[in-house]
Amino acid sequence: MKTRTLRRDQRDGLFAFILDIPALLLTIAFILVPIVDSVIKSFQTYGVRNIISGKPGVWNDFANYLYLTKTDAFSMATFHTFSFVLGVVLVQFVLSITLALILNTNLKGARFLRSVMMTPWVVPTVISALIWMWLFQPQYGLVKYLASVFSFSTVTDFAILNNPNTALTGVGIAALWKQIPLMSLLLLAGLQNVPQDINEAAMIDGAGKVRRFLSVTLPYLSPVIKVSISMSIIENFKQFPLFWTMTGGGPNNATTTLAVLSYREAFVSMNLGTGSAITTLWMLMMVLVVFFYNRLFRIQDMG
Amino acid sequence: MTTQSTLKRDTHLFTAGKYLLLALILLFLLFPLYWVMITSFKTNMEAYQYPPTFFPYNPVLDSFVKLFTEHNQFFVYYQNNLIVALAVSLLCCIFAIFAGYSLARFKTRWNAIFFALLLVSQMFPVISRMISLYAIMGRMGIINTRGGLIFALLATQVPFCIILMASFFANIPKDIEEAAFVDGAGRWRILFTIVTPLVKSGLLAVGIYAFLMTWDDYLHAATLIQSDALRTLSVGIALRYLGELSYDWSLVNAISIIGTIPVVLLFFFFQKYMIKGLVAGAVKG
Amino acid sequence: MNIKRIATSLLVLTLAFAPVFAAGQAESAQEGPVTIKVANYALLESGYEPFWKSVKSGFEEANPDITIEWVTAPYGEIVNQVVNMAGGGNKVDVIFGEIDWVPGLVDTGLAAPIEDILPEAFINDFYPDVLKSFEVDGTPYGIPLYVSPYVLYYNKDLFKQAGLDPNKPPKTYDEMLGYAEKLSKLKDKNGNKVYAFGQTTASVPVSGASLSAMIFNFGGEVLDANGKLSVDNQGFRQAIEMVQLLDEKGYNPQNAKLKDLRNLFALGQLAMYYDQSWGFNGIKSINPDAVNFTASAEPLVGGQGSGQSLLQAHCFILIDNGDARSAALSKFVEYVISEDVLSGYLRDLTPAYPAKKSMASMESVVNNGILKGASPAAGRVKVQTFIPRISDLNLELCALAQAVSVGNEDVSAAIKKFKETAAVKISQ
Repeated sequence: MKTRTLRRDQRDGLFAFILDIPALLLTIAFILVPIVDSVIKSFQTYGVRNIISGKPGVWNDFANYLYLTKTDAFSMATFHTFSFVLGVVLVQFVLSITLALILNTNLKGARFLRSVMMTPWVVPTVISALIWMWLFQPQYGLVKYLASVFSFSTVTDFAILNNPNTALTGVGIAALWKQIPLMSLLLLAGLQNVPQDINEAAMIDGAGKVRRFLSVTLPYLSPVIKVSISMSIIENFKQFPLFWTMTGGGPNNATTTLAVLSYREAFVSMNLGTGSAITTLWMLMMVLVVFFYNRLFRIQDMG
Repeated sequence: MTTQSTLKRDTHLFTAGKYLLLALILLFLLFPLYWVMITSFKTNMEAYQYPPTFFPYNPVLDSFVKLFTEHNQFFVYYQNNLIVALAVSLLCCIFAIFAGYSLARFKTRWNAIFFALLLVSQMFPVISRMISLYAIMGRMGIINTRGGLIFALLATQVPFCIILMASFFANIPKDIEEAAFVDGAGRWRILFTIVTPLVKSGLLAVGIYAFLMTWDDYLHAATLIQSDALRTLSVGIALRYLGELSYDWSLVNAISIIGTIPVVLLFFFFQKYMIKGLVAGAVKG
Repeated sequence: MNIKRIATSLLVLTLAFAPVFAAGQAESAQEGPVTIKVANYALLESGYEPFWKSVKSGFEEANPDITIEWVTAPYGEIVNQVVNMAGGGNKVDVIFGEIDWVPGLVDTGLAAPIEDILPEAFINDFYPDVLKSFEVDGTPYGIPLYVSPYVLYYNKDLFKQAGLDPNKPPKTYDEMLGYAEKLSKLKDKNGNKVYAFGQTTASVPVSGASLSAMIFNFGGEVLDANGKLSVDNQGFRQAIEMVQLLDEKGYNPQNAKLKDLRNLFALGQLAMYYDQSWGFNGIKSINPDAVNFTASAEPLVGGQGSGQSLLQAHCFILIDNGDARSAALSKFVEYVISEDVLSGYLRDLTPAYPAKKSMASMESVVNNGILKGASPAAGRVKVQTFIPRISDLNLELCALAQAVSVGNEDVSAAIKKFKETAAVKISQ
């Protein structure tokens, strides 16, 4: 009896492994190996010549990393990335939870609205960038017109992507447009999982709307909130096509995030070593952010 | 009495505020789509008018006609995108059945590591692996082939799809398999003839998700494909628009519409599965 | 047994996808005795495609044993593409591109000296001064199809409306500012603002080249003859101050790419702007009527400068892929850079000046109305020193222009920062 179960365990393990093999090979070959390779390259002088001649890179005593400290480009890009992530994630969460809460009340046509609101999410990123570039167009754009109407013609030259102080916000708006639907959907699903009887019991106890939200809904919702925010953090941390299409990192480098900086260094300046150094630090930051984020949530769960 | 009426007034105010907020958010989400649509029906000269017209005074199909008659290359990109996205979503389903089932059923230590690997691999930015990927694929001789692009994209989508699929498999009671196992059915047969049919809706969600994400790809196709005959949609659009000599905003808007339609249709037809799938994958995964 | 079945179905699947792979590879297969690969972004741009297609069919007809295979990518990405392909062991034979791409491609070891591939007699027919712009360490690494200097395009109709003589374009920046004051008061027929003067500043390398040209107008320089950064000169500073002034006055569309300027100009919302001569094709493709109001003039004279400008030229950059392909490549280059092939192109698509002495009297150039006013400009070009990282330098120039315009930064502070950043960038 005992040997049989043991054998079955082993066979289970073997079977599980066989099932994993295709995905494992794929992930190793196309994701893990390239990542490790790029970390290695970040310590080497590795340029186009190396690609063409097939010669391996040469260890350069952290020159790529030192190069990043010589100008403020890297620190500014880090700052832009964090501002973008923080701003987009916060606003996105507030708007999404608002939308989800409203759609969760017994509203007529809520189901219909729920599916219609998802449309921006399926619009391809490059196309959504084009849509917002057109809306923000500095000469004929709708947003310029609306700004002039609502400011009673005091603001006549509103060009959000052209001003270094507002360009990041401009890209952020496009990001929000594309991402709010998914987060709302997830939060809405979470809300629908909150048991009604507990909510009703609290109502009978005389708990007000806000109280009920804070002490009943929120605890039930917190796993969903946690996941959807972490998805949003990762997505915005990685965001590239929106920036590249809408601003290319300008004006005056105001929208040069780590994604843009690394792409420019690696694929425009063809300096793959330095580009890899940026992506390596970038990945490191992302891992740390996600780690601390999870820690934060764990502490909250305890409390 | 008075408290009652204030309460009522409060509720009314609350409801009014609620609707206002809803309207504002929906306006933000949906108006841009309206704007793209009407721009595509404007002539270029009208599109370049300020103040802009909220309804084209002279709606024309020019830009669509131009797209269909002059810009044949657009449909080559379109077709490529379709082939690539379909292939990726199909293959993704197969990979996800295998590994998803394994993750959901067998809680081995090996699988725990595998799961962590999948989670982590989603985090890495595409740019960081592009150059190495190029070299690796070059050695395999699959640069500038549709197959190579499909595999690279497949690897990007597979981790999330596996996790998604695992959450569906986890919902299938184990007893069903046990019974079949006792009856002497082989593991593969159990997987394919008994368990998989039970997660059809999950499979659909995985397939559609992979399709949507692949349809959206820009970076892979931009780097891994060099000949125009194999290019996909986003890159095609970017070069039509980003090319130094293209200015035609009506056309760009028409392209945006045509490029979005298949995914919108797909989503609306299968939204039941999609929504269920996304929620399951994100929340339980 | 079951595993066997799985294996079989996987095999079937692989076979089912085999055509997918095959479809891609068939492309790189050689068809004729010699195939040359031509990297050409222009094929993706409406307006140029028919010309290049006719080049292919014409050339292949004349040389039945040579096949042309196009390699395409957008303008901004084709160099990348070529380099990436070379990394995968797939080298193209020639790149159609800009002069600024030469140093980068030489640095990668891809570009070959033209003397290695083209016959001497053919090379000797080119103006030596023009070829000089292609030299790296004394050897030319590219051959121009034609020369397209920066010219000042202006709108004759808007000049008339502002009460200015449409046949007297400004000659100096001071004159231009006087004109601009009048021009900026105009509105177009939809009541839109008219911008007086356009200078591209958006973050693309070509904008940086255009800014260099403007610095040359003021007698300044960005790099000295040895390729060292040299920005502590009056001309450099004055040009940057001009960029700031143009922005403060609202004369210059902010952060505009050249294509944005062409667009505004075509629609009558921009009175004057700098562009390479071939940019007119862009204007015409938006508004065919632009032929009637477009005129050109020489670049303006600023400060103590003499109105020098930067030479720009579309060129072929050649890559050595062995004797057979080089011979075919030489035939191709000689075929394209000839009066027969380029005559119609220079007349209808790309107003520009021939780079070959034997083409000087071409009818389509001599009688080109659009270029008439700017003709002397072709003679007053200054050669930009080549450094491998010229594109990075150009991008930093754009950032500087943006800092003093949309960024509202102080000129001295911005130049100081530019100096530090650019020095690091080009040192790498």
